[in-house]
Amino acid sequence: MKYFALALATSLVALSSANGLAFAQTAGGIVDVATIGEPPTLDPMASTADLVGIVTQHMFETLYTFDAKWGTTPLLAADMPTISEDGLIYTIPLRTGIKFHDDSVMTSADVVASLERWMKIATRGKQAAEVITDITATDDATVTITLSKPYAPLLPLLAFNNAAAIIIPAANTTQDPLESFVGTGPYKLQERVPDQYIQLVRFDGYQSLGGEIDGYGGARNQYLDEIRFVPVPDPNTRIGAAMAGQYDYVDQLPVESFQQISDGATEPVVLAPFGWPVFMMNTQEGVASDIRVRKAIQAALAPEDMMLAAFGSEDFFTVDGAWYPESYVWHTDVGTEAYKPLGDTETAKALLAEAGYDGSKPLRILTSRQYEFHYKMALVAQAYLEAAGFKVQLDVVEWATLTTNRADSALWDIYITHSPFLPEPSLMGIMSDTSPGWWVSDAKHAVLDAFNAETDPAKRAELFVDVQKVIYDEVPGYKVGNFNALAAQNPALEGVTPAPWPYFWNAYLTE
Amino acid sequence: MSTSFDGDFQSIMIRSALNRIFGMLVVMALVVTIVFVIVRVTPGDPAAVMLGPDATAADIASLRQRLGLDASIPEQFVSYVGGVLRGDFGQSIFLNMPVTSALMQRAEPTFFLTIFSLAIATLIALPVGVLSAYWRGSVFDQAATALAMFAASIPSFWLGLIFMQVFAVQLGWFDTSGYGGPGASFGERMHHLVLPAVTLGLISSALITRFTRASMLDVLNDDYVRTARSKGMSEWRVVVKHALKNALIPILTVIGLTAALLVSGAIVTETVFGLPGVGSLIVSAVLRRDYPLIQGALLVVAGLYVLVNFIIDMLYLVVDPRVRY
Repeated sequence: MKYFALALATSLVALSSANGLAFAQTAGGIVDVATIGEPPTLDPMASTADLVGIVTQHMFETLYTFDAKWGTTPLLAADMPTISEDGLIYTIPLRTGIKFHDDSVMTSADVVASLERWMKIATRGKQAAEVITDITATDDATVTITLSKPYAPLLPLLAFNNAAAIIIPAANTTQDPLESFVGTGPYKLQERVPDQYIQLVRFDGYQSLGGEIDGYGGARNQYLDEIRFVPVPDPNTRIGAAMAGQYDYVDQLPVESFQQISDGATEPVVLAPFGWPVFMMNTQEGVASDIRVRKAIQAALAPEDMMLAAFGSEDFFTVDGAWYPESYVWHTDVGTEAYKPLGDTETAKALLAEAGYDGSKPLRILTSRQYEFHYKMALVAQAYLEAAGFKVQLDVVEWATLTTNRADSALWDIYITHSPFLPEPSLMGIMSDTSPGWWVSDAKHAVLDAFNAETDPAKRAELFVDVQKVIYDEVPGYKVGNFNALAAQNPALEGVTPAPWPYFWNAYLTE
Repeated sequence: MSTSFDGDFQSIMIRSALNRIFGMLVVMALVVTIVFVIVRVTPGDPAAVMLGPDATAADIASLRQRLGLDASIPEQFVSYVGGVLRGDFGQSIFLNMPVTSALMQRAEPTFFLTIFSLAIATLIALPVGVLSAYWRGSVFDQAATALAMFAASIPSFWLGLIFMQVFAVQLGWFDTSGYGGPGASFGERMHHLVLPAVTLGLISSALITRFTRASMLDVLNDDYVRTARSKGMSEWRVVVKHALKNALIPILTVIGLTAALLVSGAIVTETVFGLPGVGSLIVSAVLRRDYPLIQGALLVVAGLYVLVNFIIDMLYLVVDPRVRY
């Protein structure tokens, strides 16, 4: 509990600083940020990797972003869109006088060209393209997006920072891969030496939105002269670096290193809760394609033991069947009755008998040690599943192999993954018919269509209850619990709000 | 008389060199083929890695097509070999630059790490090995032998982490990782190499120590050493000028091989210390399935091995004219 109290205190201090309570902001200084590796690209449209979003969100901006409560809020847009009564036409006013890093001024033509590129090459853009029929520059400072059917996830998709709908000069939108990293963000790319550093420097032509700091929205102050992202792929080295105080911010540390970090030169920062580990089920082929077997898996698993094995202490996880934790508008406990913290072996056995499972085919769990907590959860799950009568085969491969094999429905029954809590449920892979797991059903489409068509946020929150119920009824995936993330921060670095995709505008050094 | 001997020796050298070069070409052709096949049959896909965890199968297929990975493996092989023969190792998928440029960018830390490690290993191993042999069976010999065994059995990542904990975290003498930021001077960059070089050097010294000791033991009992002693020569001159000089041939061989081993041994050490060298480049290329980069880097490492072996073989000819290939 003492860890949690300290973490909470740390988070509160950071939050209060970020919200303008601190008044000692001084301009200048360089911040070194240790990341988990080198991003595969600096084109945020081209990848859904979190690391790409973390770095490039300082260089590029989107029309909208997320506020502190994960609602969408304007960034390059001047205001929230005007939506036609039928929900098909979004009229988006743009901020004027916004400069790109090459000193050209952003116009609606740049926005249209950028969004067209996004729909062509970005995974999330292609998702939006299925309902977007037209994007037009109404005038120099207005863009109109026309949809074929009401689609509420449009704004969160436009706001998300990976596979992101960044706005770049129209002249650069034909580049694929992107070669000119010219955005409108508060920091611009100075130099990239792969696997050594990515150096971002303050963009003097930046125009902050102004107002109060509000999550990723609101004012973006450029106190720092430079931000340098340095890849430190080895987690033990990141721990050592955090203890030595070599970097101002060290991202993604193993939670078990909390005490070591506390004793070192930097302070631990806990983001609680950070995300969910998920057991994705293969609904298309194999043992888990039988819904009764999936329900048996759901009954057999004991999330409390799995989370304890994975994260070591209750300070770093919560056992929670709701897909979203209480701090999110999407939180609901409805439908989670089948989530049993200690498992329900007898129910699992009965469901397996009903399904006629005889153990002749193993339940294949595809996992990796890239994230050690995946593997630890798999080991505990194996024990509980075997106790329920499953014959379990653990297929432990390295991450690149897993990302390939999970696309082949013949190779697995369960694969283990995780994600930060996504601000919009429609962004979850499980919602797509084509993502690995291939969950397709009439019940899914009915609740999801209603959820996506509704534009009123309050009504959408109510509709998500039905979505969660269907997920529990059909078990396309099993959310194990909520886990926290650990980072480390130089005590002299202020103004950093704990976030799943940490950002350093508004950050400043006090020494 | 001497002119005829020189002429014979030269023709033997040329014939031997040509034989060895032909062998090198065969080895390199095998390396090109084996690396290409292993890389392609290993599961994993650069397109999936680049596009991230939420990419759809259609997105991955589309990127594979753009990268030319949808062609058949024989077609890709012919294209690759054609490029290699023209000196074109292809384009790194993730770094978006020619493989040769990527390797050149990473050569500096690996080159100096190898040099420093080798220097540390040699400076430790030669005196310790010579003295161990000279004082055979003594406490010093037994201690040196035990320490050499210990050093040989330590995993480099473990020793690296221990050094990091003591000298970087506790004492603060060095950075834990990296190779200096923008504008880092040569001295600053070299400072980052101290801990990794000591790590690799200590471990490599074990093998050279053992070889030095064994080689010295062989020659210390030879007749010419006894003759030198009977002529009243000082022990220092006997050991260093006569015994060590003759024992150096196998020692040089193992030092040369250690140098080649260090290039690949740096893979783990560079990863632990976050050094942007060829070793860490290979690791990241493998994890990302950057096929052209894996192939290019392994080809260069294999080429270095072959080249070092060639040089050693040629040195044998110079040192011992009786050797033939």
